This record gives sequence, structure tokens and C-alpha cells, in this order.
Amino acid sequence: MIAENQFIRGVKAHFQAIKAALAGRMAYRGDFLLSTIIMLMAEMFAPAITFLIYSNGASFPGWGIYEVLLIQSIFMMARGIAFPFFFGMVWNTLSRVREGTLDILLIKPLGLVHLIIMTAFDCNDIGKLFGGVLLFAISMKHLPFPGFMQWVQFLLLFILSLVMLFAFALIMSALAIVWVGNSRIFEMFSAVTSFSQYPLSIFSKPIQTFITVIIPLGLLGFFPASVLLGKYSPQITAAIVSSIFFLIASFWFFKKMVRQYTSTGG
Amino acid sequence: MIFLSSMGVIGKKIEFYKTVAFVTYKEWAAYRSHMAVSLFVGPVFFLVQYFIWHAVFTTRGSLGGFTLEQMVTYYGISSVISYLTFDFADWNLQMLIRTGKFATFLLRPVTHVYFALAQKIGHRILSFWMEFIPVYLIFIFAFGIRLVPRFPVWTVISILLSFILAFLVNYCIGISGFWLIRTNGLRQALHLFKDICAGVFIPLTFFPSPIQKILLFMPFQYITFVPTRVFIGSYELGGVSFSIPEIVGIQALMVLAMVLFVTILWKKGIKRFSGVGI
Amino acid sequence: MNKVIIRVKDLRKTYKTYKRGESFKDTVKSLFARQSINLDALKGISFEIEKGELLGFLGPNGAGKSTTLKILTGILYPTSGDVYAMGYVPWKDRKRYVTNIGAVFGQKSQLLWDIPPADAFYMNRSIYGIAQKTFKNTLNDMTDLLDVGDHIHRPTRQLSLGERMKCEFIMAMLHRPSIVFLDEPTIGLDILSREKIRQFILEMNKSGVTFILTTHDLSDIEHLAKRVIIVNHGDIVFDNSLDDLRRHTGNIKLIRLSSHDEIGDIQIRGVEVTENLSKYNVEMILDTTQTGLNEFVRQIGIQFRLSDLIIEEPPIEDMIKELYLDREAESKK
Repeated sequence: MIAENQFIRGVKAHFQAIKAALAGRMAYRGDFLLSTIIMLMAEMFAPAITFLIYSNGASFPGWGIYEVLLIQSIFMMARGIAFPFFFGMVWNTLSRVREGTLDILLIKPLGLVHLIIMTAFDCNDIGKLFGGVLLFAISMKHLPFPGFMQWVQFLLLFILSLVMLFAFALIMSALAIVWVGNSRIFEMFSAVTSFSQYPLSIFSKPIQTFITVIIPLGLLGFFPASVLLGKYSPQITAAIVSSIFFLIASFWFFKKMVRQYTSTGG
Repeated sequence: MIFLSSMGVIGKKIEFYKTVAFVTYKEWAAYRSHMAVSLFVGPVFFLVQYFIWHAVFTTRGSLGGFTLEQMVTYYGISSVISYLTFDFADWNLQMLIRTGKFATFLLRPVTHVYFALAQKIGHRILSFWMEFIPVYLIFIFAFGIRLVPRFPVWTVISILLSFILAFLVNYCIGISGFWLIRTNGLRQALHLFKDICAGVFIPLTFFPSPIQKILLFMPFQYITFVPTRVFIGSYELGGVSFSIPEIVGIQALMVLAMVLFVTILWKKGIKRFSGVGI
Repeated sequence: MNKVIIRVKDLRKTYKTYKRGESFKDTVKSLFARQSINLDALKGISFEIEKGELLGFLGPNGAGKSTTLKILTGILYPTSGDVYAMGYVPWKDRKRYVTNIGAVFGQKSQLLWDIPPADAFYMNRSIYGIAQKTFKNTLNDMTDLLDVGDHIHRPTRQLSLGERMKCEFIMAMLHRPSIVFLDEPTIGLDILSREKIRQFILEMNKSGVTFILTTHDLSDIEHLAKRVIIVNHGDIVFDNSLDDLRRHTGNIKLIRLSSHDEIGDIQIRGVEVTENLSKYNVEMILDTTQTGLNEFVRQIGIQFRLSDLIIEEPPIEDMIKELYLDREAESKK
């Protein structure tokens, strides 16, 4: 009966799940449109502050307005990809644990992480991606166009920013398994990642070390932007290495929490 | 007039408030670890603000009428005040309407507004020592912000008024659930709008001056911006400045206006709810 | 022919929970030293299930029913003991094992609220990698058997509870599992849907599917199961045929009585009042070996001006009590 191999089966199932989620969401088109716009507006918080600061004649020392907006647009784009495609796993886990339906995923023949992600596609957040791309384009228009190698480096760092978000999603899902019903983990996430949206240099030295070496939050916006701007910072290598460790740690944490769930039944 | 007609029976109501508030307190005490998240989130957000403004003010001495110290203090005060006045009456009411549980309130001899207000009181008392006190101490000792109001009595009055006002505004949003079915998007939109206009994200004096003038006549600034300014001890918006007793008086008038507005909206909503059937 | 499909040996499950205080002091204390409490959900149970059986798992709430079910479906790790199901250890070989099983949880929907069941079926098709042709045939067969033809194309939220539950069954069995676990599958259903679903289960069972059914509704067991396992406080207290269960507990009846007058003491042998619902309303248990049903009705008719009399099967809790009493009586002999 099981003719296809595991991988193809997984991809097909994922595709089917996204289709189902889209169909479900379209049942409330009006609310969908409104939510998309709101999500986008809420995302504009940091750019709006930046704009107000510069329009009042002040600045982040050493940074032009479009350079700062570039950081923030990259942050938005990364979230714009992460949120619809895999970040929904956090909310999915949270509500499944609360309703006791996480069990249903455990009786399906695919990996748990995969199942949680594929049943969580959320197109509401696609607005973040559009907003991010738009802001990125506007900022780029006012900045010198980067060379080919800069683009390549940017792309690699951007992928790492998605890796970071994936690791965050895993950690948060794991927390959602043991910390039943606590939707405030999203607030913790926004608080932590608010460091990523501003030039690294505004923070004190200990914090700079923390967000490059310990949890490389700088990758979520600052580092990818800095290579496009030609502002290389020496901490970048440390951040890259650390992001890989962060990913491994998040997998380990997730596995541990799932193990705990399956030994207590939630 | 739900509120005015019941002035005479307020004595009996106190017992009711006490009971509902206490039950709510116990109910939420089970989730106190959720509340404790604020001890992390509040200071971290503040830390980022702290660095942003420290960096920005190296390029300018004053911004939007604020000095660096005032700016940092503004964020510190407004975030501790938000723990005292935070509200989710809108979410609660809409949930009751959507699930049909609201009907049970029509069968009981209490008006839901009072019930919801009592719940908020219970919830905020829990938050007072779970969120307010610890964050307040963190701000004073870790960040060295002067969190002492210039006019303590006026500040307390202003925060109490803001407590009621936040409740009334949210309750209005909740009442919209009588007309609309899926209101999550709308609710979020109104919240965002409310917070922007209240000065949660940035002091209102940063906005263009015509907008500041409009904000004077809307209820939102009285939720966050006004109590924060009263705490600091001076008030100015849209080129108009008021003394502290004046602005607190205006705030009280705004509360009365909202009471009137909620009463009217409530009557219409109930009619609609009963008309449609349970 | 009869092949053991599930073998459970000395299965134990102990939950560790922590004492949680109410006051602030307790909260602070619990940060440093938590007092743990061990709860034995399963105290070492053993049984075997043969291929093609239709087994009923009975027991009051919290007896260990759902813990057993969760372990057998691979959702939960046991504390100790062995389970071999179709050659797999469920919690270790989860992914491979679960392609062979299906499950319907009466309280947990596998369908997607806003989209038609048909789309959810397609999703399951891809998750289990079912070939298109097999999928079509199975789906057609099952929609026919359950009589849900058009409904599967309507959004789930618009379906009635009965229609939805039928679709849950299809969802759980599309991949033609060999073992199907049913947890309270008929809870809250109307009589017609209940009947249809029972027929469907019997039909599938005839074709060789093994069913394991947990419920606290006796009528499900009576219509479906041939063998019954009763668990209580984490132990198996009964494991035999349904007929044997009847021999043990068929003698007791649950009786609800309403009278126009106040009901005082009821002086009939073998009657035990379990609840005084009001002055005019009483619930009791009758042991028919002491007073026959005929005799009971006669005496009751003399004593009271009846306004209502309901005689039904006793709830599981009373049956278990009866089982214990029976055992004691037998051991004394």
C-alpha cells in the first residue's frame, strides 16, 4: 500500500495541507484581508519609530534612515517567510496541547515536527512578506547598489536568519508543550527579537556579545543588512557558528519536551 | 441609564464586587506563571527602548519636547501604568457572545458591565503584586529611573480614571460582537489604533501638530498619555497645556462621556441580541 | 487461524505530579523544592488480543482506560512492561507502527473545521501515501456503508454531529488499518447514527479488522463486543466474554422511582437506595436474586402511588462493585 518513499510522501502531504489551509482561510475572506493588513501594520512599529526619529531631525549615530530601514525590512522579510510557512507550528502546538489533539498527530506516520508544521500553514502572515519586500525595495533605491558577492553573502546570511527563526519556532513549540495554554511566549519572542531591528552599535558591549555569540539575534536583520551596506563587522563569523549551535540546541530541547509529553500524556 | 439609576444601591453592590473580584483572582492565580512572563518581557522591551533613545539623543539634545531622561522615564512610567490599567473586556465579551454563553448573563439579575468590571478588578489586584511591584522595582533599581510621581494624589486619581476608561473603551469594542461574527481582525485593528493614539509606542508629541489637536478630543490619550504626563507633573499636547488638576478634570469628563456612550451602545446591542434570538 | 496481534505484559504507568500550593509563599517554595506525588495509573496489567477480535474496554473515569489506549497507540511511554503490537513496540517504532492502525477519538476531531471532510481525506491520503485507486475504492465503499455520500463535500462545521462522526470513521480507516482504536465513539450521538456506526464497525470487523473499543456506555459493548476487559484503579478486574459478565452482573438493576406521595423507607429485600433525588424521587439498586423483578414491582405497587418507574442497566461503577461482591462471595464458598 505504501508505494512512495518517505520523502516524496512528506512533500506531497505538505502540499496537500497548505491547499487545505488556504481553502479553510478563504471561508472568511473579509476577516482574512483585514487581518493581513493589521499584521502588516503591527509589523511597521520599528520602521515607524525610525521614521519619526529621523523626521524630527535626529538619527542613530553613523546610520542613515534608509540603512536602518534596510535592517528592519530584512527582519520583516525573514518573518514574512517564516510565519506563513513554519512559524505557525508554535500556535498549532499551543492549541493542540490545550485541546488535547496533539495526540492525533502522534498516530500519523510522519515525523512530529513535519506534521506540526504542515498542519499550521497560515497565509495571514504573507502580508509581512509583501511589506518587507516593499520596504526593502524602497530602502535599496536610496542606497548604492551592492556588488554580486555582496548579494551572495546576503543570501547566505538571510538563509541563516530563517534558520534562526526555525530554531526559535522549535524552542517556542517545545515550551508550548510543557507550559500549557500560555500564548504569552509570543510576547517573549517579540521582546527578544526587538534587539535585531536596530544597528548593533547602539547597544552596550555585553549586549552586543550576547546577541552575536550567545543567541545570534543580529542575524535576523542587522548582519544580512550590513553585508549589503558594505559595513562588515568582525562579530559576523561568531554569529554564524553560534546560529548552528542554536539550531542544534533547539532540536535537542524540542525532542526532550516531546519525550516528556509522551511520558506524561500532557 | 444603567450606571446612574443604580447609584442608590451601591452599598449592596460592594459585596457583589468583592465576591466576583475574589473569584476572578483565584481563577487567574492558577495562571500566575503566565503573568510572570511580564517580568521578562517588560524589562527586555524597555532595555531596547533605553538603548535606542540613548543612541538617538547623542545626536540631539531634545526631541519632541522631551529630554533623554524624560523620554526614558516616559517609557518606564507608561509601561508600569499599563500593568495597573490593562484590560481584555473586549475579548471576553466577544467570546461570550460568540459561544452563546452571554445568554446566561441575561438570565441573571446582574448587568454584565458590572460583572466584567469586577472581574477586571480581581485580575488587576493579582497583577498588582505579580507584575506591577516587581517591574516597578526592577525599573528603579536596575535601570535607575525615578519612578516617583510629582503629585501622588493626582496621579492615583488619574490612574484610577484610566483604569475605568481602558475598560469602557474595550467594552465598546466588545459590544461590536453583537453585530459582527468573526471580529478578531477588527479587534486587533482597533487595539493597534487605540495604542498608537494613546501614546503607548511613542509620545504623542512626536505626531504632526494637527493630529495632536484631534487626539485631544478622543478618549485614547487619556488611557496612557495623560496618566503618564500627570505622573511626570506637566501636560502639553497640540500646543495646548493644562495644569494637572485641569487635565485630570478633563479626563473625568471623558470617563463620563464614555459611560454615556457605552450605555447607549449597550442598549442597542442588547436589543439586537434578543431580537436575533439566543 | 487465531493469531495474537497485540501482547501486553505487566504494563505499568506511574505519573509523577507536583504538589502545587495556592499562596505566594507556596509558589516561591515550589521554585526550590517541589514535593512530588506518584500516581499509579496502571499497576501491571497483562492481556492478549487476537486478530479479528472486537474487544470492549470498560471502566469508570480515571480507571486507566485511556492510559492503556494511549500506550497501545504509541502516544504514551509506559513506565515499565512490554507491548508487542503486530511485531512493533508502539512507542519505539511509532512511525512504522501507526501506518497499521487507525483511531477515532470521540472527543478529538481529526477533521478540519472550516473545510469539507473530502479535503481532509485527501490530506490523509498523502500522509499515508495511499495509491489513488485504492483510495477511491475505499472511500466509495465507506461512504456507501455509512451513507454519507454528499456530506463529505460540505464544510465540516455545517455537518451534524452524527455526520461528522461518520466522517471521523472514514478518516481513521482510509488507509485500511489492521487495528482500529475507538475511544468513546458514539458519545452524544442520535440513535440512527449510532446504529449506522455500529453496523459499520461490525461489517469492518467481519472483513478482519481488529477493533479495540473503550467506552463507559454499556450499550456500545452489548451491541458490539464479544469480549470485555474491565479496568478499575489501574487493574484488570474482569477479562472474559460478555455472556460471562452478564452472569455476574445481570442480576442487578438500576431503578428510578417517582411517587405522588413522599417516599419514606423502602422495605424490600435486596434494595439499596443510592440517591434521594427529592422527596418524591428516588434512585436505587435492586439485587434480583433476593427479590425478583415481578415481586419487586408488585410490592412497590402496593406501597406507593407511582407516577413513574424506570428500570435500566446499572452504570459501570455499580457493576464493578457487584463484581467485587460476587468474587468475595465465591471465595467464601
